[in-house]
Amino acid sequence: MKRISIDPITRLEGHGKIEIFLNEEGDVANAYLQIPELRGFERFCVGRLAEDMPNLTNRICGVCPEAHHIAATKALDALFHVDPPPAAKKLREMFYSVFFATDHTTHFYALGGPDFVMGPDAPAAERNIVGVIKKVGMDVSAKVLKMRHDGHHLLKMMGGRPVHPNWGLPGGVSRGITEEQRQEIERLGREAIEFARFSIQLFNDVVLKNSAYVDLIVNDAFTHKTYNMGTVDANNKVNFYDGMIRITDPEGVEFAKYHAKDYQKHIAEHVEPWSYLKFPYLKDIGWKGFVDGVDSGVYKATPLSRLNTSDGMATPLAQEEYERMYDTLGGKPVHHTLATHWARLVELLYATERWVELASDPDIVEGPFRVLPTETPTEGIGQVEAPRGTLIHHYKSDERGVLTHINLVVGTTNNTAAMNMSVRKAAMGLIKKGEVVTEGLLNTIEMAYRAYDPCMSCATHSLPGQMPLEVTIRAADGEVLHQLEQFLPER
Amino acid sequence: MALTEGGEGKTARTLIVGLGNPLLSDDAVGLRVAAALRERIPPDANVDILEDYRGGLRLMEHMMGYDRAVIIDALLIDAPPGSLHVLGVHDIPTQRSASAHDVNLPTALDFGRRAGAQLPADKDILLIGIAAADVETFDENMTPAVEAAVGEVVTAVLAHLGLLFAV
Repeated sequence: MKRISIDPITRLEGHGKIEIFLNEEGDVANAYLQIPELRGFERFCVGRLAEDMPNLTNRICGVCPEAHHIAATKALDALFHVDPPPAAKKLREMFYSVFFATDHTTHFYALGGPDFVMGPDAPAAERNIVGVIKKVGMDVSAKVLKMRHDGHHLLKMMGGRPVHPNWGLPGGVSRGITEEQRQEIERLGREAIEFARFSIQLFNDVVLKNSAYVDLIVNDAFTHKTYNMGTVDANNKVNFYDGMIRITDPEGVEFAKYHAKDYQKHIAEHVEPWSYLKFPYLKDIGWKGFVDGVDSGVYKATPLSRLNTSDGMATPLAQEEYERMYDTLGGKPVHHTLATHWARLVELLYATERWVELASDPDIVEGPFRVLPTETPTEGIGQVEAPRGTLIHHYKSDERGVLTHINLVVGTTNNTAAMNMSVRKAAMGLIKKGEVVTEGLLNTIEMAYRAYDPCMSCATHSLPGQMPLEVTIRAADGEVLHQLEQFLPER
Repeated sequence: MALTEGGEGKTARTLIVGLGNPLLSDDAVGLRVAAALRERIPPDANVDILEDYRGGLRLMEHMMGYDRAVIIDALLIDAPPGSLHVLGVHDIPTQRSASAHDVNLPTALDFGRRAGAQLPADKDILLIGIAAADVETFDENMTPAVEAAVGEVVTAVLAHLGLLFAV
């Protein structure tokens, strides 16, 4: 039996370690994406004051601190049994919409976009944001930089600090905004809507008008018919900040709809001996392995999943684009992993429209911005849609508000089973009867999991870089047959 | 749009960025050095000090409007914990990121310059890496060897900036 290992260069760089096992016939039997686990976060938090959590948990992740901050703040609302006033909820959602728009921009232009704009066969050195700019025009770079700049500026203005907001409190937020600030948020939001429309036009011109790319999106190698998860509002429209969690089956029929506080009734976690990661699945269906279909409890929680589980978008322009996406791809639900990039742009447009909608509401400068908690704290669960999936914070405390238990289900975790399936399927297309198509193997496997916008470590960062990958293909006796590498340092 | 976010009306031309996660053992070393430098660098030295945890695009954006930058971070390298490694933009030994959600620094700088941002030249960006023993355990304490290195790194940065004997 052959074993193919895509190894990062050290244990600590294990963010993208992939192992592929071949069967006797030389075909792919299994593929595993392995990720090292950061140790001891729960132990680190137990014994601390619950109200510290929005400021502690936003340090778990270098990519989406705002998502952890808001999820933690909502968990505290529940833990302290307090309902924030309307202005505070609107401000939180507006803050969150700005974050979402900024984050999705980064993914599209820096990460997902290059696969399409440059093409999957482009050399790795060109498949990056600079390659995109070279191809589609220099003025795009200034637009992207402005979008990120405006987003960070507003998050700092509202959240209180340039990084790691210290704003959310049980029962509300620490301060409101002035009328002058509201006007600035609204003005920049209107410009952000134009940026989102421009991004969709770019996707239209560069990707959708190229039949080779459309073929790639709908290619079976990137397709999994799983259940989908997302948060919806009272009208079953996509919402990032609050609502019920809705799960639809592979045919698009509602399978479950529940409040986040009941998540443990619906979701269980499977453990594999080869990974520290947990693999969440639908309890009522059960764990049937890394397989798709209506009988498998595997689900996805991605931008595409959110669109699949909802009945539409709550803002007009995003709704138009939602309809166009499903019309183009043959109706709902869509199971093509690479369509996640398109769904992300629909969400980008929604986030900017929602941002302006909330900024146009005069109530958000009026206040009050907080209700003081008066009840004894017990247990609280808070949820948001993180850019990369449904995020749940669950805390228990003693009567003083000292934490006794915490559990987090982070966005990427929801998708760990599906990501493994995607990696396996991508590998299957390139390895047949012992013949390994080395050309494009790394790119294709990377594309398969990059669509999920995975954020593996949720914590450490060290010096920045791209994901190093090294593929070692070995015969059963350990002999190295092929060696492929990408983004590795010169040695 | 002002493409000088890092400047924001200040006259400072040097930026020091301490990178790290304060909760992940040795990963905090860049932040600890930045905090120590804040105590040592006179306010009129034209130096801004910043703590962040994000590399890539965000790090590039911080540097906009500055003439030179010093970036201090934990380094995963086969070297004794606490040892100091001075690097240029293009010789980061382990091109690694916590997530696939970013680009590397040379690419980010290239992108920023193409967008018209005023950024320090590559030769004026200094990366100081401190070899870490543990960046995977949630702990507010660093390992002893890395803790002991903080003073040395502070001295090295002050010397680099010509501020070693500043009062």
